[in-house]
Amino acid sequence: MTTVQSPTPTPTPERPARPAARSGPRVVVRGSGAHRAAQAVVLVLLAAVVIWGGSLDPFGQGQLTRAAIFALAIMGLNFTTGYVGLLSVGHSAFLGLGAYTTGILVVNYNQTAISTIPWAMLVCFLVGLLVGIPALRIRGLYLAMVTLALGVAFPEVVARLDGLTGGAEGMTIRRTLLRPPDWSGFTLGEKDAWLYWLTIVLLVVTFVVVRNVISSRYGLAMHAVRQDEVAASASGINVAAIKLVSFGVSGAITGLAGSLFAMYIGSLFAEGSFTVLAGITLLIGLVLGGERTLAGPIIGGLAVVLIPYYTSGIGQGQASAVLFAVVLIAVIFLAPEGVAGGVARLARRWVVVVDKRPESIGRGR
Amino acid sequence: MLKVSEVVLDFGGIRALDTVGFTVGDGEICGLIGPNGAGKTSLFNCITRIYQPDSGSITFDGTDLLGLRRHQVVRHGIARTFQNLALWPKLTVLENTVLGAHSLATPRLVPSAVAWPSTRAARKRVDLRAWELLERLDLLDLASHPAAGLPFGTLKRVELARALISEPSLLLLDEPAGGLTHAEVDELAAVVQGLQAELGFSVLLVEHHMGMVMSMSDHVVAMDFGRTIADGTPDEVKRDPAVVAAYLGTAA
Ligand SMILES: Nc1ncnc2c1ncn2[C@@H]1O[C@H](COP(=O)(O)OP(=O)(O)O)[C@@H](O)[C@H]1O
Ligand SMILES: [Mg+2]
Repeated sequence: MTTVQSPTPTPTPERPARPAARSGPRVVVRGSGAHRAAQAVVLVLLAAVVIWGGSLDPFGQGQLTRAAIFALAIMGLNFTTGYVGLLSVGHSAFLGLGAYTTGILVVNYNQTAISTIPWAMLVCFLVGLLVGIPALRIRGLYLAMVTLALGVAFPEVVARLDGLTGGAEGMTIRRTLLRPPDWSGFTLGEKDAWLYWLTIVLLVVTFVVVRNVISSRYGLAMHAVRQDEVAASASGINVAAIKLVSFGVSGAITGLAGSLFAMYIGSLFAEGSFTVLAGITLLIGLVLGGERTLAGPIIGGLAVVLIPYYTSGIGQGQASAVLFAVVLIAVIFLAPEGVAGGVARLARRWVVVVDKRPESIGRGR
Repeated sequence: MLKVSEVVLDFGGIRALDTVGFTVGDGEICGLIGPNGAGKTSLFNCITRIYQPDSGSITFDGTDLLGLRRHQVVRHGIARTFQNLALWPKLTVLENTVLGAHSLATPRLVPSAVAWPSTRAARKRVDLRAWELLERLDLLDLASHPAAGLPFGTLKRVELARALISEPSLLLLDEPAGGLTHAEVDELAAVVQGLQAELGFSVLLVEHHMGMVMSMSDHVVAMDFGRTIADGTPDEVKRDPAVVAAYLGTAA
């Protein structure tokens, strides 16, 4: 026998093989003291990471900013592709649209960078609604083809509109135009730190908003549309409206990421940053991190920024791409529902969260 | 009052419904019987806008149902259950039930996103009502259990809870006793009758369990090959030669 010897002799071998002798997982009531305490611990840990990131050297902090921007972009993708099941390969277009909206408004119209964020989100929301229209009729691979076309078209459109976008030459946003606003207390020299904190704040706000939606009855309706449209409509859910709006919101969140990306990178090349390859990268991040989870996009953002960085240290070009692919396959093999989904599944072995019964219910029992 | 008249539905060469017509009065329990393939489920699907009839009309309290979109049907007070279940397997029993209230208190995106107090209050009300219905249908202990993996008969009751939470004025039940034991069938009949007496909705009940249909129904409609072949009191329909023939499989 090659089994690992446990430190204490295994009791009662005739008992059917179960991982633990305890009677099943621990049951925690939603909103109870224990549940709140666990959430608080996670919050404190996350806050510690964020503060640590604030004290990193410029390069490390830049990488974290980049990861947070990608986390936002993937959060946007998760909103429609994860929760509503509308597969989008072309979300790079929203990243680019947000970035160019900010770039154009800052360079050509003299706006402050931060004031362009709502515009970038609005433009992407409206385009998202438009792109959502085909999603009313088609899904799965067919929808993937339509969104693929969007992703392919975006750099072409940017190249055509060269008067506005700088075309294939690209568009450079001078560093002084990205000066932190006076009220922020950051100087021009601290521009990168400012962008780090701005990105973190927007990531946290977006996270809370998405969490609110997903845990609400609106979020349940999104899930219902993904899993069974007939049942959803029989329960009064306007399937078309949910699909359209989810695509719009998804576009807006990824557009927000794009706007921040423009501030981060400073020079926009559609052929470099916003090709379909970027759209696929977002999808990979989503699958890797875990679709339909709140933590998934954050893990995904870290993964798509940090894994290529470390693998490129090991091998050049092709080799690093292969390594990246190997990591991807390994994760999908070990945890088909992504890292966050896999961890949640493991955790359910030890703890399950149940809903709190209202006081008036089941008193006779 | 539900009024179905001269409804025709074709699938390629197959005529699933062939000038079907009957009415279900307010507060009435109407049984709908007929052998497999008679067209009962197809008729439900026409009423709830899943199928588009080729001709005929279906009205409810004067509203032309055929002019509505699918999700609007329940807003007009018609809720249904499905013969082969249409639940969301990954959602819990409680969540499945809560979703049934979508038409009654439709959640909006922006208030949900900012956790607006009125949105949370609505959630609380809907949750409470869902818990009450789960208690009524003996599903309390399964509230936090995902629908996936529960027995068929249990899931039928979850569908019933989901339909009831929309406060329907007409409930369409497609073989609600499927997969239940004899004792459970009696229990289900008692629960439905109790709720009906209390809330005053009308019921269109498709069921093969003759004891249940005949004891519960105020009137019974029998179908065969997409046609209405009998319509009357349970006793009249039971004795109708066309019905007897349809069930014995001989030509009427
Ligand atoms: N989607 C469909 N496509 C083709 N034929 C169908 C479809 N739905 C039902 N039918 C046919 O319509 C007839 C009536 O079926 P159904 O309404 O399910 O009967 P019942 O519910 O009374 O058993 C059957 O012949 C069935 O094969
Ligand atoms: Mg049927």
